[in-house]
Amino acid sequence: MERIKHWAVENHDLAFAILLAVCVYTFFALSEPLFFTHRTGFAIMERFAVLGLVGLALTLCIIAGEIDLSIGSNAALAAVITVRFTDAWGAVNALLLALAISTAIGAIQGYFIAYLRVRAIVLTVGTLMLLRGVALFVAEEKTVMLTDFRIPDFISLKLGYFSPASILVVAMFVLVGLFMTFTRYGREIYAIGGARKEALASGISLQRPMIIVFAISGFCAGLGGVIIGLRSGTAQALGLQYLLLAGTVAAFIGGVSILGGKGGVIGAAIGTLTVNFLNTGLVFNVTPAFMVQMYLGILLLIVIMFQTGSRIFDDMERRKQLLRDVDRRRSILADRIADFRRRRAGTA
Amino acid sequence: MANQPLLELTGISRNYGAIQALKDANFEIGRGEIMGLVGENGAGKSTMVKIIGGFDTDFTGEYIFDGQARQFSSPAAAEHAGIAIAQQELSLIPTMSVAENIFLAGDGVPLIASKGFLARKAKPYLERVGLGHVNPMRTITRLSVGERHLIEVARLLAHDPQILILDEPTAALGETDSIRILDMVNMLKKQGKSVIYVSHRLDEIFKICDRVTVLRDGESQDPRTAAELDVNSLVELMLGFELGDMYPRRAPIQRTEPLVKVRGLWPDGILEPLSFDVYPGEILGLAGQLGSGTSEILGAMAGSTKSRGGALHYEGEEFLPRRPKEAIRRGIAHCSEDRKHDGLFLGRPIMENMSAAALEAISGFGLLNGAREKQSTAGNAMKFTIDPKRLPQEAGVLSGGNQQKVALGKWLSIAPRVILVNEPTRGVDVGARAEIYQILRDLADQGAAIVMASTDIQEITNLPDRIISFYRGVRIGEIPLEDMTSANILEQITDPFHEAGIAATENAS
Amino acid sequence: MTDAVTGPAGEPNLVQRIRRDYSPLVISMVGLFLIVFVSGAVYTDDFLTWFNVKTIIRDAALVGIMAIGLTFVTLSGNFFLLSMKEIAALCIIAFATCMGAEWNQWGTPDPDAGPAGAALMMTFLVAFVVSMVIAVVAGGIQGVLIGLGGNPIVVTLGAAGLFFGIGSWWSDNLVVSYRRPHGAEWLGTGSFIGDIPNITVAFILIAIVAELTLRYTTFGRQVYLVGANRAAGKATGHENFGMAIKCCIIASVCAAFVAVAFSGQVSSAHVNYFSSEFGSSGDMTIMVIAIVMVGGNSIMGGYGSTLRTSIGAIFISTVDNMMVLNGFNSGARVLAVGLMIVFSIIVFALVRRGSRAVE
Repeated sequence: MERIKHWAVENHDLAFAILLAVCVYTFFALSEPLFFTHRTGFAIMERFAVLGLVGLALTLCIIAGEIDLSIGSNAALAAVITVRFTDAWGAVNALLLALAISTAIGAIQGYFIAYLRVRAIVLTVGTLMLLRGVALFVAEEKTVMLTDFRIPDFISLKLGYFSPASILVVAMFVLVGLFMTFTRYGREIYAIGGARKEALASGISLQRPMIIVFAISGFCAGLGGVIIGLRSGTAQALGLQYLLLAGTVAAFIGGVSILGGKGGVIGAAIGTLTVNFLNTGLVFNVTPAFMVQMYLGILLLIVIMFQTGSRIFDDMERRKQLLRDVDRRRSILADRIADFRRRRAGTA
Repeated sequence: MANQPLLELTGISRNYGAIQALKDANFEIGRGEIMGLVGENGAGKSTMVKIIGGFDTDFTGEYIFDGQARQFSSPAAAEHAGIAIAQQELSLIPTMSVAENIFLAGDGVPLIASKGFLARKAKPYLERVGLGHVNPMRTITRLSVGERHLIEVARLLAHDPQILILDEPTAALGETDSIRILDMVNMLKKQGKSVIYVSHRLDEIFKICDRVTVLRDGESQDPRTAAELDVNSLVELMLGFELGDMYPRRAPIQRTEPLVKVRGLWPDGILEPLSFDVYPGEILGLAGQLGSGTSEILGAMAGSTKSRGGALHYEGEEFLPRRPKEAIRRGIAHCSEDRKHDGLFLGRPIMENMSAAALEAISGFGLLNGAREKQSTAGNAMKFTIDPKRLPQEAGVLSGGNQQKVALGKWLSIAPRVILVNEPTRGVDVGARAEIYQILRDLADQGAAIVMASTDIQEITNLPDRIISFYRGVRIGEIPLEDMTSANILEQITDPFHEAGIAATENAS
Repeated sequence: MTDAVTGPAGEPNLVQRIRRDYSPLVISMVGLFLIVFVSGAVYTDDFLTWFNVKTIIRDAALVGIMAIGLTFVTLSGNFFLLSMKEIAALCIIAFATCMGAEWNQWGTPDPDAGPAGAALMMTFLVAFVVSMVIAVVAGGIQGVLIGLGGNPIVVTLGAAGLFFGIGSWWSDNLVVSYRRPHGAEWLGTGSFIGDIPNITVAFILIAIVAELTLRYTTFGRQVYLVGANRAAGKATGHENFGMAIKCCIIASVCAAFVAVAFSGQVSSAHVNYFSSEFGSSGDMTIMVIAIVMVGGNSIMGGYGSTLRTSIGAIFISTVDNMMVLNGFNSGARVLAVGLMIVFSIIVFALVRRGSRAVE
C-alpha cells in the first residue's frame, strides 16, 4: 500500500489518468448493463486499434514539444491507397505501400521541421492540405471501395477480446514504449521536448529526434488509416479529420504536457481507453456523433485549463520556495550581518 | 616534454564586425593545472572560451592541443578530442533524471539501456564530483542549483576529457554551493585533469588556481602564478589604465528634496526590506556582482519583478507598481539588461521601437499621429546620435551599440523623470559606450533621477554620483563620491562579511 | 553585426538588393513559380476577361474576409485559431434560426404588395446582432484562455469541438432554411454598384478598413509590437492578455460575418456548410490558414499585413480559377493549394534564416 501511494505521488499524472479511466468505465458499466459484456469489450478494443494509434502518435509529438496536424490527412491517404490498390496488387502489397508512403511523409516532415527550424504546426498545416489533395488525386475524388470482402472479415476476426488489428496495435504500443524508455533515441525525444534550448546546448541535434518522432507519427497514422480502410472496405479522401481532436484529447488525458517532455506510452493507452469508454458509453446512450465531439472538446478545454492553472500554481510555489530560501539565509546570516554593520559604523 | 603545455593558443585574433574581441592573445594550460581566466566584462573571456571549445571557428592564430596543431570544426569535435565546457547557463533537462542527463549526448552513451543500468553507470561520475550521496534516479528539478552545476560537470567527466572549462560556475550560487564547486575543482586536479576556471570572483581565483591569465580589452597578459598576486595587483592587471576620459565630468549635486523615496521595498531574492532616496540630477549606482540582487531592485521599482512589500513615494503618490504599465504611466522608465529579450522589437522599424512606450502620447482617439510620431522619435533619435534617416529600418540590422541606444532611447518618448538602467553598456563597443554615458549624464543634468545597476567595475566606479553596494541580496553600504575607488567597491561587493566561513561551518555540522 | 550601407551614393538598385537579401534558392523558387503562373495566365482561354476577374474576387471574398480576421490573431503572435469554421458554423445556425423564428417576424409581408422592406430588414438586423454577439462570446472565451497562457492550437481545437457540438445540437444536425424574400438577400446575392456583387464590395471594404486599422491606429501598432516580441511588449506596457482577447474577437466576428453572408446566399444553414460543401477544398479553416500563410505573414507574429492576406486570398482564388478553366478536378486543385502553402512556408523560412545569418 505504501508503495502504491509512493508510486502515485511520483507519477501523479498517470495516477490521475488511471483514476479517470476507471471512473468513466465504472459509470457506464453501472448505468448500462450491456456495457459489461464481451461484445462491448471487443468493440472497445476495435476502437482502441485506430484511436490508440493516433493517440500514440500525438503523444510522441507532444512529448517532443510539437504537434502533428496532418495526422488525419495522412491516415486518409493511407486508407485510400490501401483500398484502391488492394484489388490490383493484393492486400499485403497495398498495405505495405501505404505504410511506406505514410512513414516517408512523416520522416520528410520531421526533416524539414528540423532543417527549416519552423514549428511543426506551421508545416503540418501545409501538409494537411497537400496530403488531402494527394488523397483526392489517388481516389479520383470518389469513395473507393473493396470488392473482396474477405479482408474486412479477417481484420475483424474475433480472438477473445482482440482482433488481428488490435493485437497489432497493442504490439505497436509495446514496441514504441520500449523504444521510448530504453533507448538513447527515445531519451533524446524527451530531451528536445522538455527543454529544447538546453538539449541543443548539450549536443543533441534536432534532426534525429524530429525525424524519428514524425516518422513514427506518420507510421501510426498510416496504420490507423489502413485498418479503417480495410475494416470498412471503403475509404474517402476527405475523411478521418475527427481523428486529430480525439487523439489530442487521448494524449492530454494520458498526461502529456503542452510544454513537452512529459508523458509516455502507458499514458497514451490509458488516455485512449478513457476516450473509448466515453465514446462507447455515449453510443449506448444513443448520443449522436456530433455530441461526442462536443464532449471531447469540452474535455480538452478542461484539461488545458487545468494545465494552465497548474502552471500558474507552480510559479507561485516556486516563488514561495525562493522566499523560504531567502528567509533561511537571513536567519543564518543575521548575526554576522549585524556584527558587520556594527563594525562598519564603528570605523566610520 | 613535461614542461610542454597541454593546450597552447598563440596570436589569437577575433573580430565581430567593428569590434575586436581578441587581439593577438595567448593562452596556455599545463597538465593537471588549474588556470584562472579573468578579465572585465567585454575583455574577451567568453570569446576565448568559445574558441577553445570549438564553438567559434572563425579566428586567426595557432591552436595547439597535446602537441598537435588542431582546428576543431564544432564543439562535438573538441569534445571528442578531450576538451569539455560547462557553460554558464545550465544545459540539463529539468524533467529527466540525473543519470539520464549524464548520458544524454556525445560519445559513450549506450544505445539501449534501462534507467537502473544508467544509474549504476552514473554513480562513479557522481562520486567524482562529490555527489556520491545523490540518487541518480532523482529528477533534476529536485536538486539545488549548485548540485545542478556539479551534475553538469559529472556529465562532462563521463566523456573523459583532459581539459575542463568552467565558465563562471559559481555566478548564480550561494556560498555553500560555491564551496562544493571549489572542492570539486580541487578533486579534479588530483585526478590529473586540467581545469580552466573562468570567474569574476577574485577570492575564488586565489583559493584554487595555480596560475592566472588576465585578459584586458582583448589582449592577454602572461600567465602569473596565483601565489605571487594579491587582490589589488590582480585588479590593477584587469583594469589597466583607468579610461577616465570616457566618462563625463561629475558636477557637485545639491541634494535637497528627493525625487523618489523608496521605502521598505522588499523584492524577491533580497534579504531585507530596502529604503533609499534618489535625488533629481544624480546617477545612483547599484554595485554588485551577478546574483547580488541589483536587477531585482530595479525590476521591483519598475513593476516587472515581484516584491513582498514596500512602496515608492513619488510626486506625492505612494505606490508599488505591479506591472510595467503602472510604472510607465507615471514616467518611470526601466531598461533591462537583456535588450534582445525585452528591450527591442528586432523585426520592427526603429521608429516603432522608439515610440513603443508612448503610443498614447502620439495618438488621439486611438489613431496614430504619424507627424507627431516622426517628430518626437526623430528628436529622441538625434539625442542618441542615431541618424533619423535610419528610422524606417528594422532594429535588427543595427550593430550592438546602436541597438542599445535604441533600447535606451525608446524611453525618452515618455519623458521619464525616473530612469532605471540595468547594465547600460553590455555588449557595446567603446565609442557607443562613451556616448551612452554622456547621454545618461545629460539626462541627469536636466533633472532626471537615474538609478543604474552594473557589474562592470569601471563603469560603476566612474559614472555614478553615489553608490549603494550589494552582496548576494544584502545591502552592504553606501559609498559617497569621494570614496568611490575600484578597490573600495570591489572590497564591498566580494564577500564582505566572510560568509564563506559561516557556510563552511554550516556545511560541516 | 555591421550596419547596412545606406548612403545615397551607395544605394543599391532593386536587382542588387534582391540578390543581396535573398539566397539563390529562394530567388529561383519564386522565379519558377512566377513563370508557371504567368504562362498559365497567358495560355488559359477566358482568363483575362472582366467577367472572370469579377468571378475570382467574388470567390476570394468569403474566405478572404475570414482570413483577414485571422491575420490579426497571427500578427499578434498567437498562431491561428483552428476553430474558424466551427465559429462560422455556430453563427450560421444562430442566424438562420433567428431569421426563421416566429418571434422575429416584424409585420406580415403581403404577397401581393411585395416584401415589406423595413420588416424584413428588422428581422435581418436582429438575427445579425444575435450571431455577432455569439461570435464575440465565442472569440472572447478562446481569447481569455489563450491570454492566460493556454496553447492557441489546443485551446481552439477543443473549442472547435465544443462550438460544432452546440451548433449541431441547436439545429438537430438538420438544414435550417427560411423563406425568400428575406432581409439578407442584399448581402448574399445582391449588388448595389453595377454588377459587382455586394459581398465583393464588403470584402474590399473590410480589407481596406483592416489595413488602415493596422497601420494607423494605436491598436494596430500594439498588434505588431506584441507579436514581434511579447516580453518587450510587456515591458513597454502592452500586454498580450487583452491583445489575445481582442484579436480572437475580431477573428470570430469576421467568421460570423462570412456565415451571415453565406446564409444570405443560400437562404439556409447547416453546421457542415463550412466543412464539406463550401468551396473546393473541403475545410474552410485550413483554407483560411493557407491564405494567411501564402500571403506571407509571419506565423510567429509581428510581421505581415492584412493587405498581404487579401492578396493571398485573391492569389489562391486566381490559381484555383485558372485550374477550373483548364478542367482540373478538385483533387488537383486542393493539391495545388497544399503545394502553395508548403512552398511559401519553405520560402519564408529560408528568407528568415538568411536574415538571421546576416545578423
